[in-house]
Amino acid sequence: MFQQNVTVPNRLGVHARPAALIVKKASAFKSEIGIAAGGEEVNGKSIMGVMTLAAGQGTELLVTASGPDEQRAVEELCALIGSGFGED
Amino acid sequence: MRDRYPEPGEMTVRKLVELLGGRLLLSSSTGEDGYSRAVTSPDINRPGLALTGYTHRFLYDRIQIFGETEITFLTSLDTEGRTRALANIFQFPVYCSVVTKGLEPPAELAAAAHDRDCALFRSPRDTTPLIHDLTGYLSEVFAPRKSVHGTLVDVFGVGLLVTGRSAIGKSEAVLGLVERGHRLVADDIVRIRRTGDLLLGTGDTLMGYHMEIRGLGMVNVPALYGIRSIKDRQQVDMEVRLVDWSQRPDFDRTGLDKTTTTYLGIKIPQVVLPVLPGRNLALLLEVAAMNFLLTSRGVDVPAALDKRLIERMQDSGV
Repeated sequence: MFQQNVTVPNRLGVHARPAALIVKKASAFKSEIGIAAGGEEVNGKSIMGVMTLAAGQGTELLVTASGPDEQRAVEELCALIGSGFGED
Repeated sequence: MRDRYPEPGEMTVRKLVELLGGRLLLSSSTGEDGYSRAVTSPDINRPGLALTGYTHRFLYDRIQIFGETEITFLTSLDTEGRTRALANIFQFPVYCSVVTKGLEPPAELAAAAHDRDCALFRSPRDTTPLIHDLTGYLSEVFAPRKSVHGTLVDVFGVGLLVTGRSAIGKSEAVLGLVERGHRLVADDIVRIRRTGDLLLGTGDTLMGYHMEIRGLGMVNVPALYGIRSIKDRQQVDMEVRLVDWSQRPDFDRTGLDKTTTTYLGIKIPQVVLPVLPGRNLALLLEVAAMNFLLTSRGVDVPAALDKRLIERMQDSGV
């Protein structure tokens, strides 16, 4: 298992469009992926799950993966979230 | 008849009489003269100005309408003058003329039409409504059209054009819809015609309401499901494109992105639906149709949910 923290930088937080980008990225990996905020973990490949986190700007997310490509999955997802999804 | 409109290339004066003679109350003054000639334009022309000698830009390829203006002008002339006036237009290959309002065509007009193998009709109807009916009908005949490989079905009144590669399961999906009480319009070949801003779809007259189901061969839908299972014509409201699951790993996960597709210059919404064994496509197509109804009434579910989510995040003050 591999995990890493990342903070949501964009103003609107993880709303529908960023959530879609996250699950799209997560679905490209074979590993099981979890994303947690405030002790609640959801499946990183589920759009409804990721939206349920309601992770606003400044929220610290814990990205966890276990599987053959776990390290790359976590790194790429953290990079995507950290980039602010191309939003301000 | 599935589609009562002939192909533009089939539109002859004879066809016009056959299809529209009753409504326009046409009676021929020159037997079957000109009946085999082609009607090449959906528009009409009033030949008044050409009769006076100004034949520059005379639109001879249109049906010529002789209303009260033209006929009273002709009858105001003497025989020689009428012959000369009519020669102005019959020097062109005019193929069909209609005299309206029950007016009597002058003998010189009948003679000139006969000489040039031009159909000459009379109608008791008023000029303007007759022109509306004639051009209305002909503009349907000459409307832009194309054939699409797909299946058209009426789901809750929404015309779903289901497309996708051969054997992806279009027919099976639509059979599932028919079983749930929806109506088949066309399978395999959908003929689409543009009228105004609308797309109208019908099936092929020869194939009728048969569908090919792989492994079962041809099935006759109304014979199996009854008259309520079929429909002659349906507006094409949206396209649902079935794709292989593997081919489209990046399909829309939220429904926020509204994609469209264009047929004959008309934009309609498009949904791309990945197909996986075990997915109940009939059910999904029903939901797509209901979503279309919601959206067309201004309800955008993904956008509303997104708004609620953003508000929640801002309220929690993070």
